[in-house]
Amino acid sequence: MFYAIAVFAPLLGSLIAGLLGRSIGDRAAQAVTILCMVLASICGVASFIDLVYNGVPAGVISLGTWVEAGSFHVSWALRYDTLSAVMVAMVTCVATLIHIYSVGYMSHDKSNPRFFSYLSLFSFAMLMLVTADNLLQLFFGWEGVGLMSYLLIGFWYHKPSACAAAMKAFIVNRVGDLGFAVGIALVFFVFGTITFGEIFEAIGAHQNDAYQVFGTSFRAYEVIGILLFIGAMGKSAQLGLHVWLPDAMEGPTPVSALIHAATMVTAGVFLMARMSPLLDYAPGALGFIAVVGGSTALFAATIGCVQNDIKRVIAYSTCSQLGYMFIAAGVGAYQASIFHLLTHAFFKALLFLAAGSVIHAMSDEQDIRKMGGIWKKIPITYTVFWIGSLALAGVYPFAGYFSKDAILEAAYAAHSASGTYGFICGLLAAFLTAFYSWRLIILTFHGAPRADHHTMEHVHESPWVMTGPLILLAIGAITTGIGFHEEILGEHWHAFWGESIRIASTNHVLHDMEELAPWVGLAPSVVGLAGIALAYLLYMGMPTVPAQLAQSFGVIYRLLLNKWYFDEIYAALLIRPITALARLLWQVGDATIIDGIPNGLASLTSSSSGQVVKVQTGSIAHYAFAMLIGVVVLVGVFLIFR
Amino acid sequence: MIAALAFYLFAAILIGSAVMVVTARNPVHSVLFLILGFFNAAALFLLAGAEFLAMILVIVYVGAVAVLFLFVVMMLDINFAQMREGFQRYAPVGATVGAMLLLELGIVLGGWKFAPDAANFRFAPRIAELENTAHLGQLLYTDYILLFQLSGLVLLVAMIGAIVLTLRDRGPSRRQIIARQIARKASETMVMVDAPIGTGVGAADYLHPIPEAAEKPDTHEHAHAGHGGH
Amino acid sequence: MNWTLAIPEIVLSCCGMAILLYGVLSRGNAFFMSSMLSVGALLLTGVLVLSTDAGSGFFGLFITDAFSAYIKLTILVAAALSIVMALGYAEHANMQRFEFPVLILLCSVGMLVMASASSLMTLYMGIELMSLSIYVLAAFARDDLRSSEAGLKYFVLGALASGLLLYGISLVYGFAGSMSFDALGAALADPKKVSAGLVTGIVFIVAGLAFKISAVPFHMWTPDVYEGAPTPVTAFMGTAPKVAAMALLVRSLAGPFSDLLGQWQQLIILVSIASMLLGSLAAIGQSNIKRLMAYSSIGHMGYALIGLAAGTPAGIRGVLIYLVTYVFMNSGTFACIIAMRRRGRAVEGIADLGGLSKTDPGLALALAIFMFSMAGIPPFSGFWGKYFIFSAAVAQGMWPIAVIGVLTSVIGAYYYVRIIKVMYFDNAEPAFDARPASLSFVAAASCIFTTFFFLFPAPLVAAADAAARALLG
Repeated sequence: MFYAIAVFAPLLGSLIAGLLGRSIGDRAAQAVTILCMVLASICGVASFIDLVYNGVPAGVISLGTWVEAGSFHVSWALRYDTLSAVMVAMVTCVATLIHIYSVGYMSHDKSNPRFFSYLSLFSFAMLMLVTADNLLQLFFGWEGVGLMSYLLIGFWYHKPSACAAAMKAFIVNRVGDLGFAVGIALVFFVFGTITFGEIFEAIGAHQNDAYQVFGTSFRAYEVIGILLFIGAMGKSAQLGLHVWLPDAMEGPTPVSALIHAATMVTAGVFLMARMSPLLDYAPGALGFIAVVGGSTALFAATIGCVQNDIKRVIAYSTCSQLGYMFIAAGVGAYQASIFHLLTHAFFKALLFLAAGSVIHAMSDEQDIRKMGGIWKKIPITYTVFWIGSLALAGVYPFAGYFSKDAILEAAYAAHSASGTYGFICGLLAAFLTAFYSWRLIILTFHGAPRADHHTMEHVHESPWVMTGPLILLAIGAITTGIGFHEEILGEHWHAFWGESIRIASTNHVLHDMEELAPWVGLAPSVVGLAGIALAYLLYMGMPTVPAQLAQSFGVIYRLLLNKWYFDEIYAALLIRPITALARLLWQVGDATIIDGIPNGLASLTSSSSGQVVKVQTGSIAHYAFAMLIGVVVLVGVFLIFR
Repeated sequence: MIAALAFYLFAAILIGSAVMVVTARNPVHSVLFLILGFFNAAALFLLAGAEFLAMILVIVYVGAVAVLFLFVVMMLDINFAQMREGFQRYAPVGATVGAMLLLELGIVLGGWKFAPDAANFRFAPRIAELENTAHLGQLLYTDYILLFQLSGLVLLVAMIGAIVLTLRDRGPSRRQIIARQIARKASETMVMVDAPIGTGVGAADYLHPIPEAAEKPDTHEHAHAGHGGH
Repeated sequence: MNWTLAIPEIVLSCCGMAILLYGVLSRGNAFFMSSMLSVGALLLTGVLVLSTDAGSGFFGLFITDAFSAYIKLTILVAAALSIVMALGYAEHANMQRFEFPVLILLCSVGMLVMASASSLMTLYMGIELMSLSIYVLAAFARDDLRSSEAGLKYFVLGALASGLLLYGISLVYGFAGSMSFDALGAALADPKKVSAGLVTGIVFIVAGLAFKISAVPFHMWTPDVYEGAPTPVTAFMGTAPKVAAMALLVRSLAGPFSDLLGQWQQLIILVSIASMLLGSLAAIGQSNIKRLMAYSSIGHMGYALIGLAAGTPAGIRGVLIYLVTYVFMNSGTFACIIAMRRRGRAVEGIADLGGLSKTDPGLALALAIFMFSMAGIPPFSGFWGKYFIFSAAVAQGMWPIAVIGVLTSVIGAYYYVRIIKVMYFDNAEPAFDARPASLSFVAAASCIFTTFFFLFPAPLVAAADAAARALLG
């Protein structure tokens, strides 16, 4: 019951704010959505505690039948197990804090009810996604969050860049969704069902199903795993389909915090964990996941080192951290990936909101080259930014330390080529992460003020509705790691996860993690501290060196600054040819041929309409006559063609 | 032999009078031919051993329906010459369609042969000792009770329809309300007058009724005057 | 004899007569009260239908199964919606009479009998009971020339159709030797017993029934009668009788005549294509929305016939789903049409809807939803109706007819969307009068069904499936 309330309260809030927003006013709309979210988070946390600590059995809450077509059954149902409950608790809590924060951040905006309605609707879609009991409902939530992401990125629709970013996000996600949809279809073909429980029951039976394509045999599980991962790549901005995430920062900052840091982008990781029983039988797909994850982690970290927009730096850092989560999933340590998802949700939301607070203080300036010297004026923001960065860099005892450590240990413990690749990428990325985090802190808060006089005068700490959530998130960023570490990953992980994550008997990564050489556990901390030290050295100690470095390694610098030219390559390889083809089809195919046919047909249709109606004279005799002729013709047709 | 002859005789007259119904110039003649047709059909029924149907046909159709037709035709002022104008115009097309239909049915009926076990298919085999009418009655109230009751409903609908479409409430028409008549006291209707000697009743206003709704019928008639004839 | 199977029909006719008595005996205008009682009677009958067992009664004349229950419930809902709609109709004073709901009740009895017919005689009696009531209803506004004309036209042509039907029945009886569906089915299973006369009889029966569902070429009465009849009557004619007649067509063709699929399939396809073409083409030129709805209903019946032509359980299921979605779309649309009143006068022109989105956004939205649904645009229920039909046809390899269906629905979309265009983009006409609550109720209920059908289609699809299987096994 609590569980259902947690899922549907945001929908209620959203509907009220969205439909009645104009009549009840901004304040009421905010109050309604926040109240609903608070209610949802209380219920979400309560159902999580009930499940994990009070021994309430896991189960499925059925809401009704959705599709019933032949052998294809889909129902609306909420899946109640640890994986879903953890996500529900996390999503509702973070979303609540972000709702509260938005009251302050969006206080100058004119369309508040719309914003809060979208935000709540997003929360609902996300909750539908994580509580889905079957792939179709999950897809419903998946598309729901995609749609809300589109609407929220383009929230300021009068800005062309925001509209372009929104469309980019939507279109890139389509590519991934195609893979996902085909994956769902394949799951149905293989298992005859798309309900999780039934799929997992039948895992053993279809192990050796295979497809023959071009004389090569592909195992069904591998194909499904890779297709589902392609879907996850789109949503979670993995290498290749990551291009939309940095641009998505055009949306309001609370949106970036909620959607593009804490919740939606982690949906792909969630999907991997949800499908863990299947993926465990698909080693090839797992290797692919680990390699893509590792590459993304490193690749995004390199870009993060040179970006100048405060939100973009954090966005690339998100991309990179998502890569970590996929490394963990790719070596079979789904628990670790969800653990990192959890801690990341707190510290990354914290970082985004703190960045929002900085932007708010700096009169909507986002370029860190025009900041500096403000740490004394906004002490709370400064403190929480430190906490967030410490957690991100993985410094003991902050949350990121435990989860990132676990991922790297798992990658090492996997003793596979892909695992080792992930470990190396992850280690390098950890160094870069620490480096760009402190580069960001130093450039933003320290040094001589580089903003103009006018702006500097207005620098002020944010109101309590913004700092309050920051402090709460900071507490989360400190405690989630140390608090849950033992339960989620320790010897007794099975007691915590129950049946929600089922791994094959051959998978003992978690066990192996305990028996590694000590240096593996220490390495991330060491490289992290080294990265911090380097950042201090370069930006605090010798502020002129970075510019010189950029000059002397111009090629690399420009490569990184332009994000490895991904956008340009896509533009040249895909967008321009497609646009040209589309233009051709439009002008020749559509305007000339296709428009010509219907226009001709339309005039033909309307003239024949006139002819048809002429028969309608109004005389009974004519009508009776027509009936008789009809009978004669029908009998005639029958007699002739019988 | 005689039965067969009689059959052909009656059938020929039936078809002949049916043709006359359609072609006769005078509508009264049409109705009369219709009645002739009914009689012949009744005779055919008799030949087939269905005496009840034959009698019903005569009583209902000849006795009621056809006579009603006759009244309608005689009372309505219909310009038949005008109505027949279309006949000439559509005759060729109508004849073609009719001929085709006849041809088709001819083809169909040409292939007709009696099944050897046709008699077994009959719904209600005759019981020897019962006569036709009693037999029908038994069947109607047992096997076909559903259809019988449904016919009753059809008639009910027809009645409702006739009332709904034609009955007009003529306003304060004089109806007998017995309760009011009995409850009436003498004082309400009678006025005792002392008439002086030598004057007639017409001199004073003695004999006017107590005015109740004397005005209304007049205006009502007026209001409806516009409907007639159009 | 098993008369208990007919309890819904018996109760409904008794209720009808009781309400008739009540109306005659009560002082003052009993219209409202008897309408309410009639709705209650229909609901009661619905409950009784649900609790009736499957079986065969009255010596094989009457049958109840999942199919008849499905059809009966649809008919009862449609009839109840029409009565509620008539409450909000104030065009002719003569309409506000207690005979109106009573006639609808008796008409419903006829339709229920049609749904349960298992003999050609029961079929005929049901049709006559239904038709006679509708003739009277069409002429109900007797002081209105158009209404009288509509009633008379429908009556004369209906009599002709009845004649065709009876002739067909007599041919079938003559050639097959039986009128009971069971006996016919058994007799026709042997191909040697199928003669030309028998199938000609079926053609005539199809013609008689096609008249009732206004399929081309037996559709000519439809536009005139739809336009002339009082609007609540038109709404009624457009829904329940169509369902009942279509059910009969399905029951007889897919039942006793199912072994002759190859014989009647081409006829149904022919009629279906002609109906779809005419329905979509002729509607384009219409300016009166009631005439437009008449052509639209012709087209819709054409689509429904595709499912019958497929002749499979999936096809029949498609027809059944289509009928239900059609009933709701049609009722809703007519509720909107009845609400089109300006300064106390009903207006029926499409141009009168101009700028409705500004003067009455609720009504405009509802009508827009119905139009989208009729045009078959997802996710509205109309799309799903078409979807089930077309997919059944394609599964049988009937590609051409499915393609024609899709093409004609594209043409049809033109005039449906034109109404939306008029409402949303044309200059505003003066506002309509305030609409009665009963109309809002019908429009809203239909709207909810039409819009949210796609969320919970399973119960209806399952029921239709059970009904189709009851028929085809």
